[in-house]
Amino acid sequence: MKFTPELEFEGGKVRPLTLDDLDHLWNIYQQPELPGQSKPKEKEQLARLVDYSIKMAATQRGMMWLLEVDGQVLGMVNVYDWQASLLRLTMRVDGLPELSIKHRQAALSACMDFLAKKYHTRNFAYQWIDGQKEEIKTMLTNLGFELRATLRDAWRVGNSGFANIEQYHLLNNQEKPKAGRLGEFDNPAQNINKDVPTETQKETK
Amino acid sequence: MNWNFIAGDYLLRLPVADSDRTILQTLLQVPEVSAHIPRLPMYFEAQVDDEFRQMVQRFDAREAAFWMVENSEDKLVARISIQHINWLQRSAYIQWELSDEIDLDGLSVVVSAIKDFCFKNLGLHRLEMRLRPDFQRHIQLLEALGFEYEGCLPEQLEFQNENIDLAVWSVLAK
Repeated sequence: MKFTPELEFEGGKVRPLTLDDLDHLWNIYQQPELPGQSKPKEKEQLARLVDYSIKMAATQRGMMWLLEVDGQVLGMVNVYDWQASLLRLTMRVDGLPELSIKHRQAALSACMDFLAKKYHTRNFAYQWIDGQKEEIKTMLTNLGFELRATLRDAWRVGNSGFANIEQYHLLNNQEKPKAGRLGEFDNPAQNINKDVPTETQKETK
Repeated sequence: MNWNFIAGDYLLRLPVADSDRTILQTLLQVPEVSAHIPRLPMYFEAQVDDEFRQMVQRFDAREAAFWMVENSEDKLVARISIQHINWLQRSAYIQWELSDEIDLDGLSVVVSAIKDFCFKNLGLHRLEMRLRPDFQRHIQLLEALGFEYEGCLPEQLEFQNENIDLAVWSVLAK
């Protein structure tokens, strides 16, 4: 069963990790974007990451996509701290130096659209760590994120250093699903006899 | 490591399941005590049982620690905890539930001892408190205790049909 879908965006796509991607992951993790992030010593360690990505998605704790542009793997989109019941999660895009901000933004946007539709996610957080590219913050603003808090020394760098985390949030306008009895709020709930208009039917109305 | 210690006139000790049920419920059944977190008051025995189970499991997992704070008359005046301990990032959340019988002077002594314990004994670097932003008493206490305001995170949870924002305050090891 697949829990992480392949999603297309202009110029590329995001797709789930597989055990055939160990070389790609190795390449990404040898050029870490996050301040203080250590490099794995053996490629086989990354097989655990693939396994982890499947388990995280299956249990709605996180999701990982590989980010491809023109057939080249240039990064990853990560979902973590996923509070599915609270309709919120945190995201980050980790990319190689050649990943453009345009593709980074498009990939992030595609993943957010999916999460909003599939899981009704309303509250998206993004943590920018002091030392990362400044243009990432511009990208977040372009997408509608707002800086809500600067967490001092919340990111550990090496054995004794720390960096600030700037936490951005985007609240989408999607209405929260309302809890109710069967048929209330025009919610089909588990009523399989109730017609649910398809996207095409909605558009033609 | 000894997790129980004395701070001025106060004893900070880990809870004991058999004997602390009633006194903890007496503190936590007052709605104002947990409203800043926010959390439902503890009205029923089943809630107390669940709370003790969670305190024990989370302490065993070294993910949290809960201290019962008693004054010189052996009366429970607060429960203070550290939670979400992140040993990698060397940070934790601190949370307090206070009775009216502990004032700023008393809390200063107690929180100072907890900070010392966390920063020196546990090797943590950052303690942060997340709470509803509109609780002036707690904000005044945080400011007086040297915590700094870092911002307010929107819609962190839903409580009684209301989306709850949480303000973040923190104190760092020097």
